[in-house]
Amino acid sequence: MRAIKVHTFQKEKYTLVFGAFILGFTLLAGRLCYLMIFRSEELSKKALNIEQRERTIKAARGKIYDRNGIVLADNQAVCSVSVIYYQIKESQKVIKLLSQKLALSEEEVKKKVEKVSSREKIKSNVPKSVADEIREAGLDGVKVDEDYKRYYPFGTLASKVLGFAGADNQGILGIESRYDDVLKGTDGKILTLTDYQGIEIENAAETRVEPVNGNDLYLSVDYNVQCYVQQAAEKVLKVKKAKRVSVILMNPQNGEIYALVSLPEYDLNEPFVLTKAYEAEGKNQNDKLNDMWRNPVISDSYEPGSTFKIITATAALEERKVTLQDSFFCPGFKIVEDRKIRCHKTQGHGSETFKQGVMNSCNPVFMEIGARVGAKDMLRYYHKLGLYERTGVDLPGEANSIMHKLDKIGAVELATMSFGQSIQITPLQLMRAVSAGINDGRLVTPHFALEKKNPVTKEITEYEYKEKAGAVSKETSQTLREVLEAVVAEGTGKNGQVEGYRVGGKTATSEKLPRRSGKYISSFLGFAPANHPQILGLVLIDEPQGTYYGGVIAAPVMAEIFQNVLPYLDNL
Amino acid sequence: MNAVQKKSWKKPKRRPQAMDYSILFLVLFLVGFGLVILYSTSSYKASLLYNDTTYWVKKQALFAAMGICGMLFIATRDYHIWQKKWWFAWVIYGGVIGLLLLTFAIGAASHGSQRWISIGPFSLQPSELAKIGIILFLAAYISSKSREMRQWKKMVIPFLFAIPIIVIVGIENLSTCIILLAISFIMIFVATPLLVPFVVIGLIGVAGAGGLLLTQGYRMERITVWLDPAASEKGHQTIQGLYAIGSGGLFGKGLGQSMQKLGFLPEANNDMIFSVICEELGLFGALCVLALFFALIWRFMVIAVNAPDLYGSMIVVGVIAHIGIQVFINIAVATNTIPNTGIPLPFISYGGSSLVFMLLEMGLVLSVSRYINVKK
Repeated sequence: MRAIKVHTFQKEKYTLVFGAFILGFTLLAGRLCYLMIFRSEELSKKALNIEQRERTIKAARGKIYDRNGIVLADNQAVCSVSVIYYQIKESQKVIKLLSQKLALSEEEVKKKVEKVSSREKIKSNVPKSVADEIREAGLDGVKVDEDYKRYYPFGTLASKVLGFAGADNQGILGIESRYDDVLKGTDGKILTLTDYQGIEIENAAETRVEPVNGNDLYLSVDYNVQCYVQQAAEKVLKVKKAKRVSVILMNPQNGEIYALVSLPEYDLNEPFVLTKAYEAEGKNQNDKLNDMWRNPVISDSYEPGSTFKIITATAALEERKVTLQDSFFCPGFKIVEDRKIRCHKTQGHGSETFKQGVMNSCNPVFMEIGARVGAKDMLRYYHKLGLYERTGVDLPGEANSIMHKLDKIGAVELATMSFGQSIQITPLQLMRAVSAGINDGRLVTPHFALEKKNPVTKEITEYEYKEKAGAVSKETSQTLREVLEAVVAEGTGKNGQVEGYRVGGKTATSEKLPRRSGKYISSFLGFAPANHPQILGLVLIDEPQGTYYGGVIAAPVMAEIFQNVLPYLDNL
Repeated sequence: MNAVQKKSWKKPKRRPQAMDYSILFLVLFLVGFGLVILYSTSSYKASLLYNDTTYWVKKQALFAAMGICGMLFIATRDYHIWQKKWWFAWVIYGGVIGLLLLTFAIGAASHGSQRWISIGPFSLQPSELAKIGIILFLAAYISSKSREMRQWKKMVIPFLFAIPIIVIVGIENLSTCIILLAISFIMIFVATPLLVPFVVIGLIGVAGAGGLLLTQGYRMERITVWLDPAASEKGHQTIQGLYAIGSGGLFGKGLGQSMQKLGFLPEANNDMIFSVICEELGLFGALCVLALFFALIWRFMVIAVNAPDLYGSMIVVGVIAHIGIQVFINIAVATNTIPNTGIPLPFISYGGSSLVFMLLEMGLVLSVSRYINVKK
């Protein structure tokens, strides 16, 4: 075949083609420089975003202590066990070990072990000892992760106060919920590189952000007092076959709550298991649980009955509408407008002074002095004593009072209000108002949390609470303490006496609505020492069977509690 | 002896010299480098899917070995055997079209898109064969009709011959169709002294392509993805590729340290392998790879210019066009310089047919290199 020469023009064309390639390659080199120098930072950041997986390290939740440092809410180390499909070498061994140690059926474990997934959780909340055994077996592909679980060492103790924290370390009720941001801390994280399925790359460098544990919280609750109170309350609940028994012990001088019991309580370690008392009702599971968790002392209002006479007396004394020596006559009833409102003693107390009227808890006396004060001034005192506002206690779900509007208050309403009917307040509102009455007029904020402690710096921050002075004068307060001491010493509150201590108090028996249902709340409000109250207690027995007079059944409970607590008072 | 050789192109039947070892070295280096990178990109996925980190590398190494043997065999033959008889070119032409149609027929029979023909344990991708076929055919045709190539009407004839192959390939595989078109275009371009018609054809081509893109929504989509890959789902591959390139920085994360290859970047073994090179070896490594290809093309240019005859020269130009365009498009796609189209990076991307035929083309060039006019 004839060979044909490469022409000169072709060589020029070659130069053109070559030039085009030079141009093209230069363009690419330039583009590469742009991407890998000027946009490198931005692009690598974005790449890291998808290549990294965040694994959280749980922060330990802060502990909750009583006022003396006894742990009421703690953390327990638990573990979760999972398997990684691609790393398992001896699947039979793994299945056998896990089913044995975790008390699961072999089929169940087998299904999870053989599932092609990057990570399969076999069981969580595994006790640490069991998890350690599994870890020590050293089988490939079995992962044990440590975790915390909230643990309440005393189970039901102060359940309505503490509340509980859920599995995700989130406070759900009570103190746990109210102080969640203090207790929960900040989770740390481990950033690991993973492949597109999220499988961690072995030997890849990890970035670790350490968790910050939550603050410890110190409550005003005293473990011992809470125990005494719970025992006393349990006793009366059983004897009187009552629906509920609630007891609050508070320092009237500063609002620190020493104990709050509301039976039946529930086990904080098993908050989703209904206790017997709440099982029966024909509601759905959620309502039943809410009933069980509910703290009636702050979430429910009730007609206080005769204990509210303290408020009426305070107003009348402060307004100088009555003195202790003023005399009254009780025929067993009082006609108000067209109504005949009875005294609890139907045959009447006869002639009595105001002081005796209080000691007798005589309704006509209080109707009379209530009328003397008048509706407008009465409501002014309600305001002064904090009955129109929530107490500000550091628990979630507090209810407010239900009161008459001023223009709706006629003589009948004023009369019934005077002895604690036709209005509704929460037990804690009553406690707060009475505190102001007997502590020389300072309106305190009932509270639990005293201080928080930073786990790292050990720095302690005390909580401060609002206090408003001047609700009533010192003289009135003095008079009130005196007359309430007389109630216990010689009046209806006799059963509240404690040998060797000066106790003041007031009984109450309120009929629950609707009237004539035969359901009562028997209560007793007591304080000691009467001359300078250090402790104020309220016992509420809800729907007792048999005798239902507060002075008969509630006062002895308070006396029993005081008997145990008063000698101990110096330790508080 | 030099004096004899200087004029020896007039006498084709002379003793050949040694082949161009710089090309041989570059090619072997690229193949070896390709295997290393492929091992890096594929080992993780291979261990997940086949529990064998070397699953793909072993296959590719086998093809490389076959290809290198074939390359050396062809390199040591006289390249004129491919045009010894006038009908050889037509056998090649017919063979390529036949194989392409056969692929279609098999594909139609199995009710699916088909790019492969299975021969025993191997599967052949006829579109790769089409590239070497079109180079050999056009080289033979143009060198035998070199005078006619001066008239632009006659010049169009070889292009018309190429069109059936281009179209048949283009139905299934747009990317390869573009490569074939570019090879034909460049080979005819250098074979004629004419320049104006090419400028005209170029302009018509650009206008036509533009019109086609604007009228067909699904092609337009590629453009919108290209302009803003982050805005569209379809931009996933491009975005992941850019992440890989960008996270390489100046010197890269180190060989084997790519994160994007762990399943984030689609086609990491094939069309997007250059992104992994960037991530692992950085700008430095990427420019080195670019320089290697450039050196190869430069050596080819030297051989094309000094080829003993037009036939040999045209073969080399065809191979230059093939490699150059493929490298350019591959890297341009990886860096999102042009809209996405899937083209493997020569010698490096995973793919048996592509590697084997590329090496055979190298064999042709090496064969030509043995006959070049060596100037003192």
